[in-house]
Amino acid sequence: MEEVDKILIHALKQVGTEVSEETGSVRQFSSELIVEAVVRCVRVIDPGLGGALPTSLPPGMSARFRVGMSLAQACQDIGYKGEIGYQTFLYSNEPEIRSLLMFLVEKLPRESAEASDQPQGKSAVLQRAIAAAIRAQLSVPWLPPNCRLPLHSQTQSPGALHSFHVQPLSLAHCSPGKKPLKEVKDYHRDILPPVTAQPSHHASVVASILEQHTAELSAAQEWDSEWNSQGLLSRLKPQEYRSRKLTRLRKRIEEQLRSAALPSPESASGGPRPTGDLSELLQAFRGSAPSDHTLTKGSHFTHTQKFTFTKTEPSTSIPFVHQSDSDVQLRQQEEQLSLQEQQLCSEVDQLTADMKHMTVTHAQVLDELKQRELGNSEKEEKMQVKKKTIDLLPDSDDNLQKLKALVEASAKRVVHLASQWEKHRAPLIDEHRRLKEICSRQDLESSQKLSEIKSVHDKIRVSTEEAKKKEETYKQLVTELENLPQDASRSAYTQRILEIVSNIKKQKEEITKILSDTKDLQKEINSLTGKLDRTFAVTDELVFKDAKKDESVRKSYKYLAALHENCNQLIQTIEYTGTILREIRDLEEQIETENGSKTVANLERILSDYKAIRQENSALAAKVREG
Amino acid sequence: MELCESVQRGLQQLADPSVFITSCYRELLEVSYRSLLSSQADPGVLDQAELKQVEQIVLKQSHTAATTFILEAVKLNADKSTISSCLEELTFSAERIDIFYEAHQKHKKELERLLASIGRCPPHINDVSWRLQYHVKNNQVDKVNEPFYCIALNTENEGSPEDINFTCTVEQLQDLVGKLKDAAKCVEKASQM
Repeated sequence: MEEVDKILIHALKQVGTEVSEETGSVRQFSSELIVEAVVRCVRVIDPGLGGALPTSLPPGMSARFRVGMSLAQACQDIGYKGEIGYQTFLYSNEPEIRSLLMFLVEKLPRESAEASDQPQGKSAVLQRAIAAAIRAQLSVPWLPPNCRLPLHSQTQSPGALHSFHVQPLSLAHCSPGKKPLKEVKDYHRDILPPVTAQPSHHASVVASILEQHTAELSAAQEWDSEWNSQGLLSRLKPQEYRSRKLTRLRKRIEEQLRSAALPSPESASGGPRPTGDLSELLQAFRGSAPSDHTLTKGSHFTHTQKFTFTKTEPSTSIPFVHQSDSDVQLRQQEEQLSLQEQQLCSEVDQLTADMKHMTVTHAQVLDELKQRELGNSEKEEKMQVKKKTIDLLPDSDDNLQKLKALVEASAKRVVHLASQWEKHRAPLIDEHRRLKEICSRQDLESSQKLSEIKSVHDKIRVSTEEAKKKEETYKQLVTELENLPQDASRSAYTQRILEIVSNIKKQKEEITKILSDTKDLQKEINSLTGKLDRTFAVTDELVFKDAKKDESVRKSYKYLAALHENCNQLIQTIEYTGTILREIRDLEEQIETENGSKTVANLERILSDYKAIRQENSALAAKVREG
Repeated sequence: MELCESVQRGLQQLADPSVFITSCYRELLEVSYRSLLSSQADPGVLDQAELKQVEQIVLKQSHTAATTFILEAVKLNADKSTISSCLEELTFSAERIDIFYEAHQKHKKELERLLASIGRCPPHINDVSWRLQYHVKNNQVDKVNEPFYCIALNTENEGSPEDINFTCTVEQLQDLVGKLKDAAKCVEKASQM
């Protein structure tokens, strides 16, 4: 029973009852303590019911009685099924109190384990760290400046602050793969100052180092993500991919700058409009309008920027323009100059139009010239051929024969060459086909391998993330476990519970064994009594038959009957003894339980309270009579 | 803790006993802390006698890597397990990790103060003195009967005290007090996330 009491006391302490350290068991609870514990539990379970109940017993007897009754009523309202009344609180006994307290403690709402539902993740961890830091700072009390210790100097009296100013640093390392020039190496070795001495303000050293590191880290991460997504698909080596990207970006920049620098056609003055804002230029790069940063979470306070009572400023009056002579003159000059400008512009336009016309005609003339030259050369060729034939005419027959022989010979040669060419062509075509097949197969394989690589990358990423997350949760849970209060050790209770369960199992086995033994015994008894009856009946008959004739048989019959009677009586006595023993055991148990409830003490208390009530009543009656 | 390539390489060189013997390692750590915490930039901070054995370029790379690592560790308020696991991955021996952690603990507060001194902060209010005026009448209106508060906030801006004076009506003062209470509630809510 000790563990149950310990759990009860622990739970009552959590509710707020002040239980001193010496009370180890419910037996030692006094009436006041019981009332306080019960009222606090009722208040937690049902604030409406418990709000009206006082936590301590009032001194007057009738008031105590009333409080007891209301408490009992409240407990019954909550759902306690046992017998309860004012006597449970005023004249308590141990088992009733224990069962009531156990019922109430079970009814207490469970403190839900909310801590485990908190979202994990880096931002949540960071927010929790921020909240803890703010809490720590809030717990330090504010002191006026003359009393401040160095402990407060960080939050309450900050020293000189520098803004976050970054200066570029030159590092002594070079990326692997590129061999540095000898001069650069010498510079790095001999002249380059160490990193902390490079910025011109010593206050910006920290900022510059942190910025440099973060820039490098984020550049590496961006390159990784880009390479994994697009670079692998393009199947180029990293350097080629990078150089291609560089040329692409350069072209794009040139285009954008050129289009932004062109004069817009609609300006009336004709001069180039000043190039738009840098932000508009960058917008055009990105190709989409920048999204307005909507204000995300923040309280009403962080969103208000003005006091409710700011005075509205009077709108500035329109400036009063004075017409002065100098202004008029300037304006006239302006108009003249603009007219001139317009004229010049129109002349320029005309001249450019003329120039274009000229270039077009020039190109046309060049084309014609080329065509004529081509015609000339053709005609020259034809003339040459005709000249040759005319030379050959006088010796016509021989020349004709020679020409025919020539023609035949050349035809034969052509055929011969064609066959040779065929011989060469076939294997070459086969080779070509084979190489094409190999090429396409390799393409397939490489794309398969790419997809495999991608999936492996993904798996790696997922598993590293999971490992990191699990480590984080492990660390968090370890810290939370350390922070949990260590009052009631759960392992002891679970051990006891398991022991009790095994004990109960053993006892159940024993009980079943005993039950079966009892059944067997009962069966034996039944069979034996049956046998006895039958044997007696048979013997009785036999002896009775003979008893009529013989005197000794009659005597033996009488003895038999007496024996039967006595044995029956013996058996009855034994049974009676057994029942009486059982009754004795029951009565002893009852005596023990009754001894546990301190009836005698309670009776005395009841008597004294009764006397007190009678006195109060008489006093009240006297008062009523007087007044 | 994530570190970029150059810092990792510099730290690996620092962990290598053939490049940096233990006394050089200790000396370089001391030099790094000193170079961060001193109030003046000292270009000759790496010209110690102990460090002459190590080649200059390697020395400068390791010095850069060490200062970056120290600043990152203080920025993230890394505890012992994070630092040791990070250094173990970069092949530091347990002894060197201990030496580093000792030096780190020694200088941590000052480095935190150094990092905390970056930023802006409006002046801190230390004290308030107020005066209640009552306007009875002026040359245009015969009965004005309006109370005004003249408030002087004694603030402290980077060590030097300053006074901010202003006057306000009762409603404006109530508004101000209401906003202050809102601000306090905001901070409390933030601390209970």
